[in-house]
Amino acid sequence: MIESQRRVRQSAIRMLAQEYSDASLTEMGVGEYDPSFVITKLGARVNRALVAGVIDRMERRDGDSGPSYSGHIRDPTGNHVFNIAPFQDEMHAEAEELLARFESGDRFLMALVGKSRWFETEDGGVFTSLRVEQIAIIDKERYSRWLVEAAEATLRRIKAYDDSSGVEPSPDSLEGAGVPSDLLNGMAQARSHYPEFDSENYKVGVLQALSIASGRSSMAEASSVSASMANEAPEDREQPTVQAPIEPVGDISSTIISAIKSADGGEGAEYDAIILSCVQSGFSREEAEDALEGMRDVDGTIIEPRFGFFQVL
Amino acid sequence: MTVEGKYANLVATVKQECKDADENEIIEEFRRYEEEFLIPPEDALRSVIRKFQAAAGIEVTGSPSSRSSSPEIKKVDRFSELGSEDRNVTVEVAVVSYTPRMQKMKNGEERQIAFGWIEDNPWESGDKRERWDYKDWGGHSQNLAPGSVVRLEGVSVNEWNDKKSININRTSRISVLREGGQANVQPSDEPISIEKASQSEGFVSIVARVLSTKKDVIVKRDGSGQLNVVRGRLADSTGSIGMLSWSDFDHEPGTLLKIEGASIRRFRDTPEVNISDSSRVEVFHDNSFASLEDLEPTTKSNISGLRNGMRDVEITLQVESWYQRTFTSKDGSERVVRSGDVMDPTGRCRLTAWCDFDPKPGDFIHLTEARVQSWQGSPDLVIDEITQATSLESPTWDKIDPEDHWVDVGLTELVEGGTRRGVRTNGTIVLVTGDSGIIERCPVQLPDRNRKCRKRLRDGNCVDCGPQRGEEDLRIRMVLDDGVSNVSLLLSKDPAEKFLGMSQEEVAETISKEGQEAFLMSVREKSLGRGVSVNGLALIDDQGAMLLADSVQDDGLDASKAAEMVIQKWEVAM
Repeated sequence: MIESQRRVRQSAIRMLAQEYSDASLTEMGVGEYDPSFVITKLGARVNRALVAGVIDRMERRDGDSGPSYSGHIRDPTGNHVFNIAPFQDEMHAEAEELLARFESGDRFLMALVGKSRWFETEDGGVFTSLRVEQIAIIDKERYSRWLVEAAEATLRRIKAYDDSSGVEPSPDSLEGAGVPSDLLNGMAQARSHYPEFDSENYKVGVLQALSIASGRSSMAEASSVSASMANEAPEDREQPTVQAPIEPVGDISSTIISAIKSADGGEGAEYDAIILSCVQSGFSREEAEDALEGMRDVDGTIIEPRFGFFQVL
Repeated sequence: MTVEGKYANLVATVKQECKDADENEIIEEFRRYEEEFLIPPEDALRSVIRKFQAAAGIEVTGSPSSRSSSPEIKKVDRFSELGSEDRNVTVEVAVVSYTPRMQKMKNGEERQIAFGWIEDNPWESGDKRERWDYKDWGGHSQNLAPGSVVRLEGVSVNEWNDKKSININRTSRISVLREGGQANVQPSDEPISIEKASQSEGFVSIVARVLSTKKDVIVKRDGSGQLNVVRGRLADSTGSIGMLSWSDFDHEPGTLLKIEGASIRRFRDTPEVNISDSSRVEVFHDNSFASLEDLEPTTKSNISGLRNGMRDVEITLQVESWYQRTFTSKDGSERVVRSGDVMDPTGRCRLTAWCDFDPKPGDFIHLTEARVQSWQGSPDLVIDEITQATSLESPTWDKIDPEDHWVDVGLTELVEGGTRRGVRTNGTIVLVTGDSGIIERCPVQLPDRNRKCRKRLRDGNCVDCGPQRGEEDLRIRMVLDDGVSNVSLLLSKDPAEKFLGMSQEEVAETISKEGQEAFLMSVREKSLGRGVSVNGLALIDDQGAMLLADSVQDDGLDASKAAEMVIQKWEVAM
């Protein structure tokens, strides 16, 4: 039986930055026109994504084949890395305009649709990014609507992830467990590849996004809501189903050390990446930030040779 | 607390890193992050520091993800040309063996890897080949079947104890040049549901109840004779499907059958089970299988379910309008054709009657054995005999107002269904194409029809009518996407003018003053990431799905309302 093969446009996945940057499973299309995918821990198969946030970095590099641009846009859970390639010259004028605004010190909200790309380090680390297809400056209302869409899409995946617990990771079995059809393949791949984790991790970002968009709380409260959520998380994670990272969960310093070691490609490990891996191990953002500073300033076990980049002494 | 006080600690931290930064500017920046970009001040700290450092000219570039340029590709024919340092290698090999195994990674994850032998020079006999070990770190099992010949791209050389081997990484690409000996996928004899069978092509097995049969004759096109066939309809609890048997078929309606090795073919857009001499048909016993009465409703259609090429359609409709016209047919005789617009709660379409049928607008009618023909992509109903139509005494549903009959259809249902008029759907705009704006259309009057050609000119040329002086028109092409499905969205002049809030003349003026790119940027700022509701006609065919908009408007939700809805729907404890 051959499924009818119509080449359809891939839909744009809505997801917060954390889910995408956590992903380490990739699938390269075999044929020339076959799409490639990044598969997230929650089972999203990302070939194309719609993301939004405030511009946090942007730079231009000049190569032999022309200029390329890269940058970060930031949502409540972290950064999406985006880039514009030399051959996308139809977008260079727009990129220059954005870059000029950014470099003049202006910050603004953007929405962008991009195709998934990744970079794999020698030791198997995967850095995900998006190559821009279209980009636009947006207002707060449209950004908030995106937060809601991304939050709902994440909730849908969290539910599918929870429903698939203990189920054989094949599309047929997952369908029986109530996983929506668009998530079947991705969930089967994610379940076979990633170790079991607590989906509450991703709830934190969802809560933050929803509480910001609903206007229920001011920003500061939103962050403390999520911090207290995250504080509850470590108890939940003590369950034996959680496969421990390298060091036992509970010791934040060793988590930080190993995070730095695994992300340090010679120039130090980036602040956001270290904090992120602590949060993934069940620590709150605040705890992680405090511990990182303590280790730098008090213990002296780590150094920050350049602002934002850390190395183990 | 004053604004200054609220941010005091953070401002001090920024000052430590950037001594010359102005305090008020720092406060303003935190305020903007909090109020405009919705990022709490504590979380904004790093971004703010980075901004003021950049302003002061402090070097802050260089994130790991921006590392660029992979080493150059090395293409070789023989393993002997490879050195132990080679990365990004392209080579064609024969796969000798593939042995999967679980390996614990440094970060504690278990990962399936595989090892085995590969041989270079794969197109030559075995004695001219060299054999190396390889490891597959990327789960490429599907493309590394033993016996196959493949091209490896982006693999690297590993040397250990003076022995070189190949590492196939996750980012490596494998193209199968010749399939291996063993077939990996075996055709399944497991029966599948009619719903699944309708979506597949090729051979299937099904268990289904016969709803109806009818003997028919197919005349061969070359005039060499005719074939006796049996047409009919089969059903299970997931739906019904047409059947065409090329061999003897004498099962009565109501019989439950297991049919193995039947093939699914499509007549226009409608799938049909084809039974031939090589198929196996046997009576099947299953007391729990849906009875004939239970399956009856599956044969009744509604407008949203109509597909080009369907036959034996039974359907109830409300008539919206009715016309008749007379024309001279090819053989010179006068003929009358009647047609009109009809509706049901799932949509609207056109009905054509080649018989003496004259319903009035607002009437409810019931059709049997109607067929579906496509007109301009839209599946429309046709009846040939007056016996196929009955007028109903009492309305089947609350009368539909034709002025405001937009049927809400989710994007996924829309895309997976067939062409439909009068639909309304929601989604987010994720693309505005570069050819949106002013286009030129061919002005040539077509001789046989009462209309202009209107094809889009490219560089002043019409594909049909040659070089022309075009007539300007306004058109916007976008993609509407809900995260699961997407459809291309076409706005002709009227809906485009309303959507942009500009007339065609104003658009033309903007483009001539500021350029096409600036115009597109402004449309993208207006559209990208915006949630809209679209009324229109959905055209679905082999090329994909297209929505011709009647109108495009905001979906009427603001962010806080949308957030509250999500919180309720998913029972999120805030």
